[in-house]
Amino acid sequence: MVKMKNTILITDLNNESLLELSHSMGLSLNIEEMIRLRNYFRYLGREPTDVELQAMGQAWSEHCCYKSSKLYLKRYFENLKTENTILQMEDDAGVMGLDQDYAYVLKMETHNHPSAVEPYGGAATGVGGILRDILCMGAQPVAVLDSLYFGTDFEDKPEDRLTTRFVIENVVGGIRDYGNRVGIPTVSGSVNFHEGFTGSPLVNAGCLGIARRDEICRSRVGGIDEILILAGGRTGRDGIHGVNFASRVQESGDKDRNRAVQLGNPIIKEPLIHAVLEANSKKLISGMKDLGGGGLSSSAGEMCLAGNCGGEIHLDRIITKEKGMKPWEIWISESQERMLLSVKKENLKEIQDIFNSWDVETSVIGNSVSGKNMKLIYEDEIVMDLPLQFLTSGPIYARPFKTRKEGVKIYPFPVEKEDYLERIKEVISSPNVCARFNIVRQYDHTVRGNTIVKPFTGTPNSETHSDGNVIKVIDEGRKGLVLTAGCNVNATVVDAYNGTINTLSEAVRNIICSGGKPDSVVDSLSFGNPENPAVLGQFVDSLKAISDFCKEMHLPVVAGNVSFYNNYRGTDIPPSPNIMMVGIIDDVKDCITTEFKTPGNLIVLIGSSNYDLSGSVYMKSIGYPSHGFEKTNVQELRLIKENVQKCISNKLIVSAHDVSSGGLISTILEMCFGYELGASIDLSYISNSRTYNKLFAEGGNRIVAEVSPDNIQKLTKMLGDIRVEIMGKVLDSRTIDVSDSGRLLFNEDILSFKTLWEKGLDNII
Amino acid sequence: MEDIKIAILRMEGTNNEEEVYSAFKNLGVSPEFVHIKELESKKKSLENFQGIFIPGGFSAGDYVRAGVIFAQRLIKSSWNEIRRFTEEKKPLIGTCNGFQILSEMGLLPDINGKAEKSMVLSVNKSGKFECRTTYIKFSNKNPILSNGINTGSILQAPVAHKEGQVMFKDPNILDEIIQNNQIVFQYTDAQGKFGEYPWNPNGSINGIAGLSNREGNVIGMMPHPERAFDIFNMSGREREGKISTGKLFFASIIEYIKSHAI
Repeated sequence: MVKMKNTILITDLNNESLLELSHSMGLSLNIEEMIRLRNYFRYLGREPTDVELQAMGQAWSEHCCYKSSKLYLKRYFENLKTENTILQMEDDAGVMGLDQDYAYVLKMETHNHPSAVEPYGGAATGVGGILRDILCMGAQPVAVLDSLYFGTDFEDKPEDRLTTRFVIENVVGGIRDYGNRVGIPTVSGSVNFHEGFTGSPLVNAGCLGIARRDEICRSRVGGIDEILILAGGRTGRDGIHGVNFASRVQESGDKDRNRAVQLGNPIIKEPLIHAVLEANSKKLISGMKDLGGGGLSSSAGEMCLAGNCGGEIHLDRIITKEKGMKPWEIWISESQERMLLSVKKENLKEIQDIFNSWDVETSVIGNSVSGKNMKLIYEDEIVMDLPLQFLTSGPIYARPFKTRKEGVKIYPFPVEKEDYLERIKEVISSPNVCARFNIVRQYDHTVRGNTIVKPFTGTPNSETHSDGNVIKVIDEGRKGLVLTAGCNVNATVVDAYNGTINTLSEAVRNIICSGGKPDSVVDSLSFGNPENPAVLGQFVDSLKAISDFCKEMHLPVVAGNVSFYNNYRGTDIPPSPNIMMVGIIDDVKDCITTEFKTPGNLIVLIGSSNYDLSGSVYMKSIGYPSHGFEKTNVQELRLIKENVQKCISNKLIVSAHDVSSGGLISTILEMCFGYELGASIDLSYISNSRTYNKLFAEGGNRIVAEVSPDNIQKLTKMLGDIRVEIMGKVLDSRTIDVSDSGRLLFNEDILSFKTLWEKGLDNII
Repeated sequence: MEDIKIAILRMEGTNNEEEVYSAFKNLGVSPEFVHIKELESKKKSLENFQGIFIPGGFSAGDYVRAGVIFAQRLIKSSWNEIRRFTEEKKPLIGTCNGFQILSEMGLLPDINGKAEKSMVLSVNKSGKFECRTTYIKFSNKNPILSNGINTGSILQAPVAHKEGQVMFKDPNILDEIIQNNQIVFQYTDAQGKFGEYPWNPNGSINGIAGLSNREGNVIGMMPHPERAFDIFNMSGREREGKISTGKLFFASIIEYIKSHAI
């Protein structure tokens, strides 16, 4: 029998002591999992080492092995790909074809648990981690985006956690300081406020990259006897047990709370990007993977397994930040800015020269070997020797779940008070509708010089919001990519299925409204405790919605992640299936923006809706409960996707904006804000529902578009069967008048709305 | 046309070099990246170039003070070369972090030619990082930029920085640089009127957005013409215009090099 160091006696332990061991070592494994481990070592006829137990704790965490979600992800997302999909759900990021030479790489991921305890570092390393996911595919990162979800207790000072105000300030600060320093523009994303995120904020970081098709690098070793190189930052005690921490319900006094968050350093990352891309374009790298959750333990194991090899790694050859780190700490540390490269022996020297020229540290830590085991050596002693198959054979759970019934409940509704102006002002200045300037102006969104449609559009320093954001991606052409990300939480919280569909419909319309063709989807799915059947039911509903929608719209879901256990004091967060969508635009000169351009042009409404108010910002603002969310007609959206896009490329539409949070009136006002042009609107013909419903409903597939009167007939013809109604025209003054069925609802200076809209976040950040 | 070579300096944290590179490339000259390490090891020399451009970014992270580390390393490795370079009236231009570096090196505004450090780019008055579109007035007859930009023109240019507020060591310096015509760009509103925040995004004294040395061949500015090279990079109505700020700016530099046979 092999003699190993630092063994821990488990083969004779009873259940109670097993659980105690899991707890005292911070493994976060439950009793069934511990029993499985004990039985396995009984079968091997030896006791495990501390490194082995820690490695199992990593590998079998929810974060690494997706034990609660795997079953459903496979059921709903398998084979959601198109003819342009190069890699779907395989490596660290999705890969899509762009043209015959280039591909684009995309990924979005949550970084919720670290951001809750250390918002600045958590958010910064969220950006750092997603950049490495793109980089390890051999792609140059070109844009960062982020979707943030915060609580609403702005004035509270709780004792057991950070205040919401502090969290907001620091999450934004972390994204700003990391993204700006590393020099990749933060161009897109969303910010959402809901009381359900109080104590459990969400941080989703996404990234888009460009690679030559023949330079895409896989996350696997290229065969036996390759050399494994660890490049970039040093390995430290920061970020130990991060994945275990993220895979359980948080309790106060959790000892992993502070050390579980990694520290980021963008000034190591910036040259690391250069060095990796230079070595990759010279074809010196056989495979690479970034070190994220689970650290080396997870990356080295997955790379060897994917390359059908075993591995042998000398933990004492890893450069550490501090002396005296234990072998298990080195193996599972989640320190940032590290990449694992697999290279052929003959390329080693050249790789080292490149990294040296960029002042990036590298160390040769081991090599791939024949066989199926991962063997770790520390100061000439074997400290781990386990089959990779066993390490990655985490349990898969089919836990009980309960899904919701569909449909909007009928309920009594208050009598219309005709307080339109007051209600509009309240909605337009509410945190989920108002301007994002206070946050987004802190992010550099023009660095790299390729940003075509910025987060804001219109008169400089007096802009309005854009829909999708456009980045020019290839130097030699004018091809661009359109980006959008977000989730309509007000809708998903009342109806996970229809809310998710509405979120996807909005993403599609954001891309169309900028002139792009929707092309691919990434989801980052944040939910509460999956051991609660209602939460798992929301999760399954959301997956089903994504699958149904993407099949109908012919969109691939190329990457994603799942974050469970977002729960504070026993309350689960609202279902938050955050969607990142990317579209393609063949020539960036054809993109359009949201602001009204020319007085005298017609304002039309494209697409239909039931005008249900359930799940809207308006309902929240009047304090009325919502039950269910309007079902979206996805077949209609498919037609809109094709025909509206045709109208835009034929220059029939000069500006467009989707109807979403805040309803139709908010959309129209935002279009007025860009150049401070007024509008005359008649709501009579768009629907026979009540005025409030027409002003504030958020469902359906609606787009407001500006069209020259000369082109209106061509437009209607080209839209075919899609519903289109003329609502009014753009004015040469700063006033907006809105009427319905012959009644003038109001006539007001648009600045009286704009000022409120601009200042909406002033009291928050 | 003889090949015009432009050095684009970089170190870790420099991050605007790609757009500067493509701006020069696009106009038909030969830009080349020069890493500070290549100057320190004497692998490359600045003598072989007709122009030097120091791009923006966060050199060395800017954790001490913006630009200070890059400036110190440049002084240590290449001070004589740089001095010769500027004395020969060759253009040395820095945007954003590049401006911060030139002022840390004492090359701006350098009123007495002794390269003494006499200004800082301090934290913006708002206390925040400001990413927005500004308008800048080309307020003098700088020998380089007037090759393509008319004096008095109002140009649109993006800014993105946290430390851009021009402050001088003593108040006389401002009078001096005004007298010497060293203010190259000033922030205005879209109509060309001097305005407060947000038109002046950082609170710079006299709305200074860009400065030169006395001779006019060393220029530093906070706005980023390299990020407004394509007409579609412009904001608002200027997107429908004919020529971008970046093209005017970079074409002027090349025209200067050509006409002065540098």
